Amino acid sequence: MWLVYKKELLEILRDKKTLIFSILLPTIIFPVLFFGIGKFTQSKTEEAETKELKIAFINGDTFEGLTDLFTAEKYFKKVTIESSDYKNEILDDNVDFIIEVPETASMPSSSTKQEMINLYFKGSSKLDNISSKRVKDIIELYNNTQRLALGEKFNLTTDNVKAFNTPISIENKNFASERERMGEFAGPLIAYILIALAVSGAMYPALELGVGEKERGTLETLLLTPMSKGRIVLAKFAVIFTASFFTVIVTLLSYFIWTYIFTMGGKMGGLDFLSNISGLDLLLVAVLLVPLTSIFASIMLSASIYAKNMKEAQAYMSPIFMLGFMPVIVAFVPGMELDVKTAMIPITNVALAMKDLIKGTVDYGMIGVLLASTVVIAGGLLYFTTQFFKKEKVLFRS
Amino acid sequence: MIEIKGLAKSFAYDKKEAKKKKNRETIDPREGDGVLHAVRDVSFSCDKGKVLGLLGPNGAGKTTTLRMLSTALEPTKGEILINGHDVTKEPRYAQKLIGFLSGKTGLYHRLTVRENVEYFGRMHGLSRLVMDERIDKIFSMLDMHTFAGKRADDLSTGMMQRASIARAVIHDPKVLVFDEPTTGLDVISAKTVLDFIESYKGSEMAVIFSTHHLHEVERLCDDVCLIDLGETKFFGNTREFAAQTPSGNLYDAFLHNVDNKEIEVA
Repeated sequence: MWLVYKKELLEILRDKKTLIFSILLPTIIFPVLFFGIGKFTQSKTEEAETKELKIAFINGDTFEGLTDLFTAEKYFKKVTIESSDYKNEILDDNVDFIIEVPETASMPSSSTKQEMINLYFKGSSKLDNISSKRVKDIIELYNNTQRLALGEKFNLTTDNVKAFNTPISIENKNFASERERMGEFAGPLIAYILIALAVSGAMYPALELGVGEKERGTLETLLLTPMSKGRIVLAKFAVIFTASFFTVIVTLLSYFIWTYIFTMGGKMGGLDFLSNISGLDLLLVAVLLVPLTSIFASIMLSASIYAKNMKEAQAYMSPIFMLGFMPVIVAFVPGMELDVKTAMIPITNVALAMKDLIKGTVDYGMIGVLLASTVVIAGGLLYFTTQFFKKEKVLFRS
Repeated sequence: MIEIKGLAKSFAYDKKEAKKKKNRETIDPREGDGVLHAVRDVSFSCDKGKVLGLLGPNGAGKTTTLRMLSTALEPTKGEILINGHDVTKEPRYAQKLIGFLSGKTGLYHRLTVRENVEYFGRMHGLSRLVMDERIDKIFSMLDMHTFAGKRADDLSTGMMQRASIARAVIHDPKVLVFDEPTTGLDVISAKTVLDFIESYKGSEMAVIFSTHHLHEVERLCDDVCLIDLGETKFFGNTREFAAQTPSGNLYDAFLHNVDNKEIEVA
C-alpha cells in the first residue's frame, strides 16, 4: 500500500495544476483576501473621503450659514449650475450634489415648523454612500446649530436641547471581546475558505487517481498486480486526503505567517484579533478538517472511479462541490449554534465549530461530540468507497 | 501452460438499459432476462513457447475473456488453469504469472520510463537486485536505455509501446496476454510489438494475442481461437483454421466461422 501511496504522491507532486491549487493558491489567498482587499478597500475609502465634491445650492441663502459650512470644508467646491435639469447636471458630472431649499422655506431657528431641503445626487455604490454621508454630516452639523438657536429662543440650555432631542442616550458597554466581534464576521469567512480549499484540494487528485487511471489504461494494469483492490483504493484515498489536508495546512501556515507580518507593530489596525487565536484553537481547526477532508476524499474518489471518462467525472464534481457547501451556508444562518443536535450534522458541525474556535467561544465538549459523529460518517464513507472499488460494474463500467 | 474450459461471464444490465432491452425483441442469443451473457462458452489452451491468436468480431467477448484470464473479472462459470492452478481460486498466484498489454500503453505519464517499470516490478515483489538485472536485460533487448530517464509523456508512440512491453514483462511472467496491442499504432511501432511477440516463440512463455489483423496472426500464431457471440467457434492449429475454406486464407476462414455478420432487431 505504501508503494502505491508513494507513487501516486510523486505523480501528484509532478502535476502543475495540483501544485497551484495545493500550495500557491493557499499561500496567497489569505494575504489577498484579508490584507490585500483590506488595504485596497481602505485606500478606496480614503479616496472617497478626500475626493473634492462639487456642490450647488438653490436658494441656499435662505438657510443662513449653510453654504458657509460647506465652503469652509477643504474637499467641497461650490459650483453654479446653469440649467434646472438637475438629473442631467449630475449625470453629466457637472455637479455631485445639489441642495435645494424650497422657496417657501424660512430660517429654521426662527421657524415654527420643521423645514426641509431636497438633496439631489447619484448614489449606487458604497463609495457614493461615503460621499453622501459627508454631505449629510455637514447638514446635521447645521441642524445642531439651528437646534441650539431654537433652544435659546425658548430659554433652553444646551443640556435641555440634548434631552429634548434624545431623551435617553445609550452608552454601549459591550463585554464581547474584539476577537468575538471580529470573529463573528471573519470566522465564517475563514471556515468557508478552509472548507473550500479542502474540497478543491481533494478534487484534482481524485480525478487523476480515479477516472484518470481509467482513461490512461493504467487502472486495468494496476488491478493485475498482486496488490489487493482494497489496498489500492486505500492508498488512493490516502493520497487524496494528504493532498487535501496539505492544502489546508499550507493555508493555516500562510495565515500565521501573514498575520505575523501584517500585525507587527500595529501597522494594520483591526487585525489584532487574528493574533489572539491560540495555537490550540488553530490545531483544533486542523483536527476538525481531518474527518471532513476524509468525507470529501471518499465521495470524490467514489464519483471519479464510477465515471466512465473525465468529462463525466467533472460533471459529478460540481454537484458534490455545491452539496458540500450547502451545509456550510446553513451553518452561517443567524441563530445557528453548535449544540448536540447540530454537532450531528456533517459539514455544518465543522463549520460551526470553526466559527466558534475563531471567535474564541467554542464549547470544547461539543468538539468531541462532533468529532465522534464525523469520524463515524467518514469511516462509513471510506468503507463504502473500498467496497465500491471492488465492484466489476464500477471498474469496468461502459 | 494455460487452459480455459467452458468459460462464461454475464453482466446484469442497469435499470435504464434493462428497460430499453425489455421493450424490444432480439435474436442475439447473448441477451435475456435483463442480463448480457458476454461470454457463454469459451475454451482454449496455450502451451509454453506457443502464440495463440484470439480472434473474433467486435463485441464477440475477446476482451471480457482476457479480463477474466487476467483476474480483473470473475467468471460466472468455467475454469481458467495456469500450470494446473485455478485462477479464480488463486488470483495472487495467477497475477504473478501473467503479463498484460493492451492497445492503451498503461503508463503513468508523469513518471519516467524507469520509474514506471520499477513501480510494476515492486508491485510484483521483485528485489532491487533482481529488478536492476531484469531492467538492464529488457532495456537492452528493446533498445530503451537512451530514453529510460525520460518522462512517459515525452515519449514517441514507439518508445511508449516499448516501455509498456518492458512494464508487462518485468516480473518475468509465464503467460503474456496482448489485447489488440497494435490498434492505433503506426507501422513502425506495430512492428516493435510484433517482433517482441515473435521473440518469445519457443521460450518458456505462453503468449495469447487478441487482434483484428489477420496478417499478424499469419505471421505469429501457432494456434487460433475464434470467438463469436461469446462462444468458441474454432480452436486449433492456424493452418487447419485456414484450410477450412477452398481459398485457404485466414480471411475466408474467419468469415466462414462468424455467425453474427448482422444481428438485427427482429
